[in-house]
Amino acid sequence: MESNRSLFIPVILGTARMGRMSLRAAQLVTGELGKCEGVQTELIDIAKLPLPTNDAGEAIKQAEFSANMSKADALVVVSPEYNHGYSGLLKHVLDSCLKEYIHKAVGIVGVSAGPFGGTRVIENLLPVMREIGMVTIFWDVNFSSVQKVFAEDGRLLDESYIRRIDKFLKELIWMAKTLRQGREQISLN
Amino acid sequence: MAAVANTEKMICPSCRVEMNHHCDKLVYTTDPQDAGQTDPHLGGFIEEFHTCPKCGCGASRHA
Repeated sequence: MESNRSLFIPVILGTARMGRMSLRAAQLVTGELGKCEGVQTELIDIAKLPLPTNDAGEAIKQAEFSANMSKADALVVVSPEYNHGYSGLLKHVLDSCLKEYIHKAVGIVGVSAGPFGGTRVIENLLPVMREIGMVTIFWDVNFSSVQKVFAEDGRLLDESYIRRIDKFLKELIWMAKTLRQGREQISLN
Repeated sequence: MAAVANTEKMICPSCRVEMNHHCDKLVYTTDPQDAGQTDPHLGGFIEEFHTCPKCGCGASRHA
């Protein structure tokens, strides 16, 4: 039986760098997610999370972020590619929780100034997601040459992204529903 | 000696219904407090994850 509760799918913006172009990508995905029936979403900007850096892991769990991850049925992670990798702060934030993520879906959006659209950062994030108990989907969104995708006022210049995001979100929502059913109804033993 | 599995159902603190045990995770630790619960065959301890079928909230405990 399918639950009639709304899905909660927050979008994590995985960079704190000044002038980050990923913000526009994250805002676009959050907007498209907000149009999906039966889905609630919000944009979580890691630059605004008050996490200390003199410790790490679950010892620095932040109550609001933890509550959002507990409530979430799936996540979208929007990550720029910095030197082929993800930002250190994104990993720091992700590591602050564990039980909150278990058996939940995640979709990754890669962002880069170059032609590869963050494919390498997506590949680098996959084993991290697996280890924290999340289930990755096989659709990604790749923002290549992101400086050409959005106008200075944030307007989307390439409408083909809407179609790609739609396919990505449909897969993510299906996985979120399936995993919710599994978490709530299917016993391990 | 390996820890004995906890077969008691977890109860959702909000809904008071039995939660569904859907996941076990092997946790490696350096914390001396967890040393007694380490399974020698697995090299770590098992953390169980449970979810409420009514409200969807999650909880975990050592096996």
